[in-house]
Amino acid sequence: MQKYDVFARLHPGDDTIHIGNVTAQNERLAKMYAYETFDEEDWDYMAVVAQDDLHEVTGKMPTAGVSR
Amino acid sequence: MSDWSAEAIDYVQAVTDTKLVLSQRYSQWSLAGDTLEDTIGGSSAAQDEIGHIRQLANELEDQGRDMEWIRGARDPEEFANAACLDAIDGDWAAFMATVGPADRAAWYLLDAIDQEDLEGLLTKIGEDEYFHLEYHDARLETLAEEKPEEIQAALEETLPQALAFIGPQSYDEETDPVYQAGFTNRPVAEIREAFAAHYRDLFADTPVSLENVDWDVAADDDEWDATRRRVDDGAIAEEDVSQISGERNELYAMN
Repeated sequence: MQKYDVFARLHPGDDTIHIGNVTAQNERLAKMYAYETFDEEDWDYMAVVAQDDLHEVTGKMPTAGVSR
Repeated sequence: MSDWSAEAIDYVQAVTDTKLVLSQRYSQWSLAGDTLEDTIGGSSAAQDEIGHIRQLANELEDQGRDMEWIRGARDPEEFANAACLDAIDGDWAAFMATVGPADRAAWYLLDAIDQEDLEGLLTKIGEDEYFHLEYHDARLETLAEEKPEEIQAALEETLPQALAFIGPQSYDEETDPVYQAGFTNRPVAEIREAFAAHYRDLFADTPVSLENVDWDVAADDDEWDATRRRVDDGAIAEEDVSQISGERNELYAMN
């Protein structure tokens, strides 16, 4: 099982925002779970991203020998 | 509003009844899912089906059917639902191997309807059905790896029943009365072929074998019930009718 983050926007041009997550065995199921779980709005766009594919940018500290 | 042939009215009635029983099965099983997401998916599908039933029921009423009868005021033997939905014995895997083929067969019959005044309604139903069918297939793929024996055993029963619901193999361009009347744009034989090809392809690379599925069920229309779209004389339970019609609790009745 893998956790997927769900992103969506209501209208074309809106910012795409994080609206929640689902747990699924594969990407195909994750997309269906996301659609069914977050169907309270008529989304213009919805996407899922496996949390393993998210690469954190913040929270990093310089290691020894790296100048600020 | 156009006038439909008697066969076309029975055709839409059978799809409507299948959706009626399907929504009942989704509701009954919605808390039995393997995951929270499964239970949400089942509940959501049940609500979609109720919406489809309401719209199709209005169309049937326009063609002279009685609304109370459509809503469930009748005997179990008067329901023309796909036979696989009469009862679901087994676990979640059996449930998925039952609702998947039933929902897909009902959609294939609707998708074949070629009536301009139904175009908008069918497009909306199709948008919902995309997510139902994609969910079923995605889930059946995972269950095929986890519980191949259960899925295979259930499909050997439910696929022929769904095929019989679609109609007899002998209904081709020359003999399918609904196609001949211009109500649909493809005959039953073609719909059956597409349905069988879909499941053969879906399970091709899985441990589930469809070798023992009776793909030739209802080969001709001799033993096929044209009103109930099946070859057996089974039916849903009295209790199902009671719950569907909401007779014991009018608050939940379809109105």
